[in-house]
Amino acid sequence: MEERYLALYPFITEASAYVSGLGFSLERLITSRAMDPARSRGVERVLQALKGDIEKPQFLASDDRKVLIELLSYPFSRILVSCIGDNFLIRRYALAEAVSCYKLLHSEPYEFICSIASDFHVDVLFSDHLFDIHFTDYIRLASSMKALEWKLVNRKMQKGHVYISKEELARLLQEAIRDRIQGSLPLDVSEDICQMCAPYISQIQTELQQIKENFGSGDFGAVESSMFPPCMVHAMANVRAGVNLAHSMRFALTSFLLNVGMPVDDIIAMFNVSPDFDLERTRYQIEHISGSSGTSYKPPSCSTMRTYGNCYGADELCSRIKHPLSYYRRKTWFNRHKHEASQQLPFSEKDNE
Amino acid sequence: MNEKTRNFLVNRFQAYYSQAEIHLPPEHISREWGFISFSDSSETFMKRHIAFGSEGEITDYLKGMGPSHSYYSVAYYEYPSAPKMKEKNWQKADLIFDIDSDHLPGKMNSYAEMLENGKKETFKLMEFLLDDFGFAEKDVHIVFSGGRGYHCHITDPSVLHLESPERREIVDYVSAKGIDIERILSTREVSGDAGRESAQMMVFPSGTEGGWRGRINRYFVSFMKDIVAMDKAEEVLMGFKGVGEKTARKIIEVFENEAQVEVLKGGNIDVLSGLNKKVINTLIEEGIKKMSAVVDEPVTADVKRLIRLPGSLHGGSGLKVMSLDINELEKFEPLRDAVVFGDRLVMSKVIKPFAVQMKGKDIEVEQGEQELPEYVAVHLMCRGVAEYG
Ligand code: SF4
Repeated sequence: MEERYLALYPFITEASAYVSGLGFSLERLITSRAMDPARSRGVERVLQALKGDIEKPQFLASDDRKVLIELLSYPFSRILVSCIGDNFLIRRYALAEAVSCYKLLHSEPYEFICSIASDFHVDVLFSDHLFDIHFTDYIRLASSMKALEWKLVNRKMQKGHVYISKEELARLLQEAIRDRIQGSLPLDVSEDICQMCAPYISQIQTELQQIKENFGSGDFGAVESSMFPPCMVHAMANVRAGVNLAHSMRFALTSFLLNVGMPVDDIIAMFNVSPDFDLERTRYQIEHISGSSGTSYKPPSCSTMRTYGNCYGADELCSRIKHPLSYYRRKTWFNRHKHEASQQLPFSEKDNE
Repeated sequence: MNEKTRNFLVNRFQAYYSQAEIHLPPEHISREWGFISFSDSSETFMKRHIAFGSEGEITDYLKGMGPSHSYYSVAYYEYPSAPKMKEKNWQKADLIFDIDSDHLPGKMNSYAEMLENGKKETFKLMEFLLDDFGFAEKDVHIVFSGGRGYHCHITDPSVLHLESPERREIVDYVSAKGIDIERILSTREVSGDAGRESAQMMVFPSGTEGGWRGRINRYFVSFMKDIVAMDKAEEVLMGFKGVGEKTARKIIEVFENEAQVEVLKGGNIDVLSGLNKKVINTLIEEGIKKMSAVVDEPVTADVKRLIRLPGSLHGGSGLKVMSLDINELEKFEPLRDAVVFGDRLVMSKVIKPFAVQMKGKDIEVEQGEQELPEYVAVHLMCRGVAEYG
């Protein structure tokens, strides 16, 4: 594979073999002046991942140096993420790396997509505008996709072959890439190395802290997320970190947010980082839960939450309520009385029990 | 079961094993084995974590012990006899399906009927395994369990490394769990030609599509054809909600015209305009229920399960656990073909009246002491309704 491809898809086996073949010592990567741009790009990668998308460079034929920098920035990013060792950061980073490749893969020729797939031990044939993969590979790749359409039962399958579009294959590979990167982190990096990276690390940590705080306080317009019960706070943090929620929790969270008055569009925006995000489907599901089809759903009670293993981090107030919505209502009530504020409740006071 | 009965059964089982043909699983050395014996304790106890180094050891064990139930692991282990599961070092596992007639919907009146239903379900499963999943017949082994149902073992190398959630996905496929009905019959806006208003078009899969989609088209077309072929087709059709005489006749016309039927097979369901979407969806849902195979999910998902050894005897029925070719399944009658014992008369004490069809005969036994052919005596003793002597 050409070097510029290795730089754009640095997680493939050939790329890491290539990098080790270059014979750069770790120390040189971290300390050498000449490697400064690679380190900056490495930090940038992680920061971009925290904020959203990792932007990939475009290479011209004469860009050898740029290619090398991009290529070496990847191991440096991984060292930084590993030194920090924060699970949220790892997930966020792995997801962003994977998403950025997904976007690139779209426009690659089919032979190239097939070669990426084969790096994940998936044999793909291309014929008649469709990619043909064996069902065992399909279920392996699609196992973390929660939307109904990814279930094998909803796929076109003949004699063990599943036929999928380019877009779908790219999406499945995104999952595989994310898995590979997430599974390989944190690397076993020595204290000394982390020490040497301290200035880079602190930049990232500041940003990480910031983002985590934002999640805690939550910017939900009219909705006060600091009043949310622990289970919902936890689920939201997961969603934002790109962790797939179980069906039951996804339903619980969505119906909870709808019931406290969060607008459908905001909820969709929140699920936007979810790995199997699919706008139309999500909108449909959320609107279905919100009652556009005639029924409006309440979130499940605490006991149901517990049954499905969705009750998480229950606190003192939890012991006095039986329903996540009551938690929210009580807490807002307390709060209002404490501050003697005359503001209206940010959600419609329906009886939800 | 008293001691005399126990001794009798052990003796008969031993005799069977001394001439039986046992179908050992591939790589039998890597399997864990488990046995239950006819024991006096009220609790059944399985001796497991056993490993055998050769075929001879296995047959010797069966001959010597005459166990009431014999199992081996679907898993292949590095150390199959290690006492702790973790220490066995799991390597891979056959893919297993269990059709337990007891779990099938509908009422069943007799053991024979129950087994017949299990067989039908097995055929449905086979269709999925051979057509959709593309397994070769030689890699799909059907086994009559000797009890209430059928097992299906798949040893195709491509599936041996699948993990539990992935195996569940296969179960969901054959049982149509999670099938997205709304995407099967959907509607699409089509903008009208100049001057005409836009209209809604129904989108339906074509009969040649792979998977459930094509299957549903084929089911729907043949279901409707069957109705139209009936004497009172018009009446039947008018029984559908929203179908009047005119629509009924139109539907019949469509099915009498081969060209139109072809169009329908191609997925253009608009030729049946007048049949409303709700009705079609109801028919589809019924079709899905009829076509899906009911299999026991936890069995397939369990990659360390112990499963009955083909060729061994089922201690709860005295019947043989039998390997079958798919071509043999059609004619297979468990209560005739899986009976291994002969007609020699055996003195038995029947505890309560009992009726069963065996070897093609309706057998009814009264309560009390009597001489019974050995195959009946063994069956009744195994089922706990008779004692020896
Ligand atoms: S007790 Fe109820 S509100 Fe509290 S964390 Fe558990 S599920 Fe959530």
